[in-house]
Amino acid sequence: MTTATAKKPSQSLNYIRYTPTHEDTYVAAMRQLISKDLSEPYSIYVYRYFLYQWGDLCFMAMDNDPDNPGTERMVGVVVSKIEPHRGGPLRGYIAMLAVQEEYRGLGIATRLVRMAIDAMGGRGADEIALETEITNTAAMKLYERLGFLRSKRLHRYYLNGNSAYRLVLYLRDGVGSIRTSFDPFGSSQGELLSGAPLHPPAMPTVPLLHKNGG
Amino acid sequence: MLPNNQGRAPTTRIVSQSVVPRDITEKFTQAASKLKTGQLVKDEYFTLFEAVGALEIMDSKMDSGYLGPEENRQGLDDDYDVLRDLSPGEVVGIMDELLCHEVAWHMGHPLSQTLFTSLYLDKLLWPVPRSLEDTHFGRGKLSGDKTEPELVHIVLRAYCLALVKCCDFVHTRVTREFYYEEEDFSTQLYNRELLSHIDHGVIGNLLNRAISWIDEQDTIDTNLNSAIKTRLEFRHEFLFSLQQDTNILQTRSVDRLETCLLMLPTLKESSHMGQPVPEAFSWKIQRKLASTVPPRPMVRISLEDALAHLKRLCQDGIHLNQILDYRGPYNLRVAIWTILSRKPQPSVYIRSLIQTIIMNKSIILGTVPVKQFLYDELAALVLPSNILLEASLDETEVPSDPRFQIAQYMDGFVRRFSQPFVDTFRSACLNRCRIRRTVCHTIVDWDNLQMEDLDEQLRTLSEEPPLQLPNGDTTYSYPLSSWAYHHKLIQFRLILQLGFELSIYAPEELPGMYWYLSHICSTHLGHIDRIRTFIVSAAQRSRPSLAKHAVLRKSFLLFDRLTMQIVAIDALAISLHALYVLLSRHKTLPTAASSQAYSNDQFRYELRMKPFLHITLPELVPYDEYSREATLQGDSDGIVMDRATKAIGEARKAWEATLSNGPFLEDSNGEKPNAPALEEDWTRDVKDTMRACIGASIAIETVKKAIIANRKKGDGAQPLNLQVTIPEAGSKARWHDWWAVPQVQPGMKT
Repeated sequence: MTTATAKKPSQSLNYIRYTPTHEDTYVAAMRQLISKDLSEPYSIYVYRYFLYQWGDLCFMAMDNDPDNPGTERMVGVVVSKIEPHRGGPLRGYIAMLAVQEEYRGLGIATRLVRMAIDAMGGRGADEIALETEITNTAAMKLYERLGFLRSKRLHRYYLNGNSAYRLVLYLRDGVGSIRTSFDPFGSSQGELLSGAPLHPPAMPTVPLLHKNGG
Repeated sequence: MLPNNQGRAPTTRIVSQSVVPRDITEKFTQAASKLKTGQLVKDEYFTLFEAVGALEIMDSKMDSGYLGPEENRQGLDDDYDVLRDLSPGEVVGIMDELLCHEVAWHMGHPLSQTLFTSLYLDKLLWPVPRSLEDTHFGRGKLSGDKTEPELVHIVLRAYCLALVKCCDFVHTRVTREFYYEEEDFSTQLYNRELLSHIDHGVIGNLLNRAISWIDEQDTIDTNLNSAIKTRLEFRHEFLFSLQQDTNILQTRSVDRLETCLLMLPTLKESSHMGQPVPEAFSWKIQRKLASTVPPRPMVRISLEDALAHLKRLCQDGIHLNQILDYRGPYNLRVAIWTILSRKPQPSVYIRSLIQTIIMNKSIILGTVPVKQFLYDELAALVLPSNILLEASLDETEVPSDPRFQIAQYMDGFVRRFSQPFVDTFRSACLNRCRIRRTVCHTIVDWDNLQMEDLDEQLRTLSEEPPLQLPNGDTTYSYPLSSWAYHHKLIQFRLILQLGFELSIYAPEELPGMYWYLSHICSTHLGHIDRIRTFIVSAAQRSRPSLAKHAVLRKSFLLFDRLTMQIVAIDALAISLHALYVLLSRHKTLPTAASSQAYSNDQFRYELRMKPFLHITLPELVPYDEYSREATLQGDSDGIVMDRATKAIGEARKAWEATLSNGPFLEDSNGEKPNAPALEEDWTRDVKDTMRACIGASIAIETVKKAIIANRKKGDGAQPLNLQVTIPEAGSKARWHDWWAVPQVQPGMKT
């Protein structure tokens, strides 16, 4: 913590909400920041998908750019969305979170996530969900400190073969009892939106544990 | 973080020859120029999934056809000559590299990043060979242009073809069963085939020919010669092992796998003689594969890891032989769950094979019709020598006859329940995460299936007399609903226990979760008592014959067995619950949530109970009651300490008894499964649980001492001077994954 504090470059970071007016600079900076933690970059469509529909749920931490005095650079970002989950509860989803390495340990990510949760809560979210790699202890701790619980573990969820936890936070009473629409795929296709694996297209719609191939 | 996995998007590829491409660049540019930056034009079908699956043209990391300035010079193709001479050491090197890739594929990596990076395999498999004659390395070259070196043509070719055929057997088995694409296995073949139409016997002959050829070579170093020979022989045995597949049900033969197992050490010992030929593998081949996924790095696993994986595969395959003799549903359940709970979990091939063996075409273990299987289960648990099961044996065809009607109802029951019942076995074959998720879903199905009205109709037909309760009320046995409820309670328990195994629960949830586990156990014990009561009273009414007496005795033995197991789980859960209550009361339990957390305990309870919220029976425990029970509200520390000590004592005794009972029960013919390897696994598991009991006893004593010490000092409200860590599931200090026993040590504070 002491070394991290020493590195803290300015007294006050500027936390702002995304606006499309500066999309060119913001998106480029965001991609750079987020891609660092990924083996493969997200395509531009993934960013557009979120920002075009839920730009107001994206928050950024900015700091003075030492290389270009008078300008700011992005040092942290959170990207989220809000949608009814399978026709049931209104689910806020935190899709991406990144903080520049030398700014970690300063509570920036926590602050960004809080801003996103507050914004989603303001839009009536019943629950907030996200996934995080099980090896990413820093992220797990961050979310669990905020009251998230692990709801399930997702086997080999990421490209690198690592598993994930789905973390969920209920924001109001009775969320668990909200019925979702019936989904014949049960545990598989229904979670498509959150990125769970998809069966081969040839798979017939059959109940759980029936044959799924040949 | 959102997963970035384009591979998960469905791949639609137009293969029709009639497609005429036309250039739309200009039209597209024109249309796009009318958009503002950042504007997204999409229809409702463009979901996050499509966004993640989309590729950026001209981005070297996504666009598989794009060549950066660097690559441009090198081109898309590799210039490796598959017809070049290979030294014997290089052949060994290539074989071992191929084996690593094969196992990496078994582990779930796609062919594109593993085997399909081999230029030798590429030559054999593309274009898709129509016959065996097409499968040689000189394809496409003018005849007489260049001859194939014998070591390559006779030896390496045979090895490669056999390897591909092995993959064909694995692919066929896995895709016929239930698996999760990418989680368990990547089935994508990129429009290629794995020699599925070529008979394995022909390939076996090629291997034999290669073995004879290598035997005749006297110019090759003896050690290298035998290294090559061993690899060919291993491949031969492995090919025929995989060809055995479900034939094991008839042959009961695992000789081939046993031979493979014996050969693995030799492969390891001679591997140093291999000379790597890295240029024979190229990630660039991916650009030629029918895939929307951009080229990804080759997956590399060590030969050591590959051989370790193969060793487990062989061992698991050999031990499969011990689940094949049918000795009733109870024993089958123990055997299946025991073999599939091995750590690491058996490979996806073995898990798929077990799925088929459990049930194929409505036959269990290749011999027992599913109806018989379900009836055996019902007879053992709820209907020993009961008319409901006997009715179908009659040949009564008079529709007004109650026995005829009973048989009709029971047939309907079998139709509805046989699949869900068999799935309680087959679900063990999923990966551990999926087992829990699946059971969270099936539990709802079982709740819906529990049909009291069917029991009522059957009761009228069978003229079941009511049972008088001590309070004067009367009730009936409801055998089928009782049975369904029994299974539902097992599933409740499984969801909780897998929750511990998968590290789902935060430390502060542990008191509540162990309370809930014990609550489910005591509900279950009460339920088994109820079933027993009805069977006793039915027996007293009918004065059963000697034969029926024997059947009843078997049922009572089963109840005793089930009761003992649940008592053992219950007692350990009670003691851990009490222990965690003490730690929590004295602010010594680590917590994941901070004081500034969103949400509250009640919402978190609701989230935790999500799988159970819509279940009718057992009823959901209201939050207030849960909160009182989970914290042992109103009980002094002294009472809680006593509770922990008594319960752990009882747990130790009950687990001792469980251990001495052993895993299996005699079936109706008085026979037990002969399954020494599974018995060993089962015993180890129980012994690990007993170690958890000892660990818990020690922790309880340490906590008691600290509480008493605090009290003596008069600062009973202060946190205990203890360091508490909860070992992660899978770690050595965690005696058993299902039991999160805290390690409690005197703290550093003075």
